[in-house]
Amino acid sequence: MNLAAVRANRTKLLVLTALVLLCAAGYLLVEVNLHNPKLFAYAMKLRTPKLIVMLLTAFAIGGASIVFQSIINNTIVTPCLLGMNSLYTLIHTAVVFFLGSGSAIVLNANLAFGVDVVLMGLTATVIYSWIFQKTRHNVLYVLLVGTVLTSFFGSIQTTLTRVMDPNEYDTLLTTLVASFSNINSEIILFAVVLLAAVTFALRRELALLDVLTLGKAQAINLGVDYDKCIRRLLLGVTLYIAVATALVGPISFLGLIIANLSRQLLKTYRHSQLILGSALFGMLVLVGGQLLVEHVYSYAIPVSVFITVGGGLYFLYLLLTRKKV
Amino acid sequence: MRIQELTKQYDGKTVVDAVSFSIPKGKVISLIGPNGAGKSTVMGMISRLIAHDSGLVDFEGKDIGKWKGRELSKRLAILTQSNHIQMKLTVRELVTFGRFPYSGNRVTPEDQAIIDRAIAYLELKEFQDRFLDELSGGQRQRALIAMVIAQDTEYVLLDEPTNNLDIYHATNMMKIVRRLCDELGKTVILVLHEINYAAFYSDYICAFKDGKIAKFGTVEEVITKENLSEIYQVDFEILNIAGKPLSIYY
Repeated sequence: MNLAAVRANRTKLLVLTALVLLCAAGYLLVEVNLHNPKLFAYAMKLRTPKLIVMLLTAFAIGGASIVFQSIINNTIVTPCLLGMNSLYTLIHTAVVFFLGSGSAIVLNANLAFGVDVVLMGLTATVIYSWIFQKTRHNVLYVLLVGTVLTSFFGSIQTTLTRVMDPNEYDTLLTTLVASFSNINSEIILFAVVLLAAVTFALRRELALLDVLTLGKAQAINLGVDYDKCIRRLLLGVTLYIAVATALVGPISFLGLIIANLSRQLLKTYRHSQLILGSALFGMLVLVGGQLLVEHVYSYAIPVSVFITVGGGLYFLYLLLTRKKV
Repeated sequence: MRIQELTKQYDGKTVVDAVSFSIPKGKVISLIGPNGAGKSTVMGMISRLIAHDSGLVDFEGKDIGKWKGRELSKRLAILTQSNHIQMKLTVRELVTFGRFPYSGNRVTPEDQAIIDRAIAYLELKEFQDRFLDELSGGQRQRALIAMVIAQDTEYVLLDEPTNNLDIYHATNMMKIVRRLCDELGKTVILVLHEINYAAFYSDYICAFKDGKIAKFGTVEEVITKENLSEIYQVDFEILNIAGKPLSIYY
């Protein structure tokens, strides 16, 4: 075992954690009136839920992206590139469309989220495991089908919103655009419980991730029940993405950026470290980015714009510099 | 290990047709035959990588599909041809994975000793901290074999282990195969394209043709002019070199 490398990675992760804490503290405290307790309490009431949502989102997207990449054995694919968050947006729109924005289910944020998550878990697992099987895990096909699916889900969703009552559309719109100024803080508790439950239920499969990256044949050789393991992990990934999308809306390139930054920084196959690194990078990008958006650009540009532009460039860079895909 | 009436079809085409044979313990058994004869598919089925349509793979009294993955992986190891590992792994880290069926992700000092021995056995000590993608094909193949040795199984299955290796490395690979059997007492089953490697280093040969077994027996029984000419549809001459029947085809 390469103990020196493991220790070096631990140091890197500690530095990352420190940076995240610094950003989080900055986010909570910059330009806050510390002398007036009422103003301070008011600022905290506004900022704390946002901070929690950002940390949760980063954890969900970071974890899901690394796990997904290891399932498909390729580091330039992420769940979002394959249309998972378009699917979630579609499901969410469909629920509002068919039940109406005034229905009991849609009005109760937690109930609506629950319905979305169940539908998402079912459809996504069926669709994506089917794609994986049909294409025999051929990354290029998966990516192609995924891109088509992204537009397919997007088109259905747009059609639904076109025929929708304009008032209903108006209420729906706020939940469909990624923005940290407009977060869905009602479902924080539900989200935390769901993430924790999924992680707990998958603890055995998560421990197999290192072996899975050796490829299907090797994983089976080493005693892994491959198909079952992949199915369960895939379900976990879809639920994680559902949580992240429900909290802040779709952010396409975040997963790609943070998963690859983590892989570049840590250069390891150990998933415990990779997932932690990816989540920490996510927190850094989101909290740091939001800090800039709120105090430097005074809300003129949402952080998702930076992420999409930066992520797009980074994606191109990864595609062009990699010798083999 | 006993194989009975094993059959596999792809899209209605029968690739392996009611194949039956028994694998003698503690020997080297080579599966040979022309392309598409079904030898690799048989290998896949007896190693549980490919599901069989009908028939039985009886492994120590139980059908191979009924074994728990973990338990089977302590008794049977398979090395396939394609091993493009995406991760940045060092040789030692790869060999460490061989202990996964026993200890999971927590490697015990006992495991470390076994890993040390496996690395030393294949003379990889000086490479053990090098990354796999920095190694030559022959060295990488040896690292994979070291992993299989660390897995410490009674049966070792190798699918074309000499593929893409030059004569030097391929011959060394075959010597290692022989040592796995003679020194470590393993049963080694391998798919080979090189008839002479099969003849020189195996105890038994199973020759396939059109999804069926054409001949199964000791090297001397199978490697004859008539058998090979019929299986491969090419003219053969057999020469006796170092007590082994080696073949020339033209």
